[in-house]
Amino acid sequence: MESGMIISNVGLVGDYFKVTFYAPEICATARPGHFVHMKIARADDLILRRPFSICNISPSSGELEVIYKVVGAGTRVLSTLREGEVCDLLGPLGKPFGRPAPDEFPVAIAGGYGSAALYMLTREAKCGGAALLGARTREDILLADAYRTAGFEVAVATDDGSEGHMGLVTDLVDDVLLRHHDKKLRFYACGPTPMLMAVCRLMLDRGYPDAEVSLDHLMCCGVGACFACVVKIKADNPDGYYYARTCSEGPVFKVKDVYLEK
Amino acid sequence: MADLATDLGRIKLKNPVMTASGTFGYGAEYHKFYDIAELGAVVVKGIAPFPSHGNPTPRVAETACGMLNAIGLQGPGIDRFLHDEHYLPFLRTTGATVIVNIWGRTIGDYAEVARRLEADKEGIAALEINISCPNVKAGGIAFGTDKNLAAEVVSAVREATTLPLITKLSPNVSRIGEFAAAVEAAGSDMISLINTLTGMAIDIEKMRFKLANRTGGLSGPAVKPVAVRMVYEAAQAVKVPVIGMGGIATGADAVEFLLAGARAVAVGTATFGDPYAPLKVIRGINDYLDRHGIGAVSEIIGKVK
Repeated sequence: MESGMIISNVGLVGDYFKVTFYAPEICATARPGHFVHMKIARADDLILRRPFSICNISPSSGELEVIYKVVGAGTRVLSTLREGEVCDLLGPLGKPFGRPAPDEFPVAIAGGYGSAALYMLTREAKCGGAALLGARTREDILLADAYRTAGFEVAVATDDGSEGHMGLVTDLVDDVLLRHHDKKLRFYACGPTPMLMAVCRLMLDRGYPDAEVSLDHLMCCGVGACFACVVKIKADNPDGYYYARTCSEGPVFKVKDVYLEK
Repeated sequence: MADLATDLGRIKLKNPVMTASGTFGYGAEYHKFYDIAELGAVVVKGIAPFPSHGNPTPRVAETACGMLNAIGLQGPGIDRFLHDEHYLPFLRTTGATVIVNIWGRTIGDYAEVARRLEADKEGIAALEINISCPNVKAGGIAFGTDKNLAAEVVSAVREATTLPLITKLSPNVSRIGEFAAAVEAAGSDMISLINTLTGMAIDIEKMRFKLANRTGGLSGPAVKPVAVRMVYEAAQAVKVPVIGMGGIATGADAVEFLLAGARAVAVGTATFGDPYAPLKVIRGINDYLDRHGIGAVSEIIGKVK
């Protein structure tokens, strides 16, 4: 547990914000896919913490970045916090993404601000990578330039066609398979649950059962005690699944382990 | 430093602060943060004779100064609890005072899980009988809101084990004192209360229930005044020790329950917001006693009449 002092908290576009904390202990061990569980300062009526994916870290300066969208009471208060205010942070929590091997070409498949949860992969990629960014409309495409600067090629899909391909982000996968057929591809995904279920089916179909998805659900304790944030994971029992805790057994799971509803 | 030891009849605790079942996992989850043997007792998440999936999601919803949950008693079942290294074998290595919360869908289930724990009771200080979970359709609250059934469950467990028994009461009844007296008469050595209050929340934008289970149990600071009143009434109604819980987040909250007649307290929902909450409650009680020049926590129990 660490007291995260806010260094900056700025609006990006629309309802999206980026908050930067001074949190050197968490930065020292954070990896792609990890999250912090935040007690939002000044939100005294809200008794629970909120989980946020870590978007980026600077271990040398102790700075930790989180990108968030204002969606409810907690994020609304968070968006009003100023430099110098302190939020209690638990982290880094969860099982992170597997590290890409030096000869692997990571492909990040993001829906909406899932692109923030995948961005740290650019730090661990040795020979570039690709980011497939999908969203409702062009305003919701986050970090495209940051991915490019980090050496990733970027392809975009929007529901309304306002930028890139008009359609689903999963539509972009086959083009990557075609153009990078000579590389050892490794897939990672984060986004809304229906999109991730589509990613699971597609990856299994294309022969990538070890592709990883970051699943989440309404979270409560963040440390595996309460069993609120569960998702269905395959199991050797008559029902074929059990409820796994995304906070401690996840949030990252292999697509071959995710139980897909019929 | 005041004397924090508390006497619960058949068990003595080094301090009066326990964890509430379902909010502290099986201990291991919080042993990463601190030595759980420092707590008065660790009450583990409910154990049944069988493994259980729990309810569909969403299982929780935050409300004003509280939360609703309908986890539905997901759990490993007695076999894994006794033998898997994450559960009882781990707890035995910590030296913590362990209380095992038990539940079932039938009276026979309660007796069976109690019998299994009796046969393997090394490291178990007591059992807490959950007759008050509002989130499982069979069993649970069905036993907790009918005095005769509640007494039958306690009698069946009483026959199955010599371990000290705590019966956890539901607040979803009109006369709590009668339930306390009924389970005392059936052989319960202690009484704990309150479990959660049945509630509901609706997402008005999506026009649907916030919980997949529709209803859930309300906990957190919002329920504390209800809990204090019920603990007071139960303590008036029985001779056996009463353990108070419901919205305790600070030492001051805990002192309120002790003054109302609880001989121990449990911290529950507050742990989700702050893993260290149970330790802070212990320190807070001590600070209160020191500030008032009171040498022992036993001196304030039931002081407000």
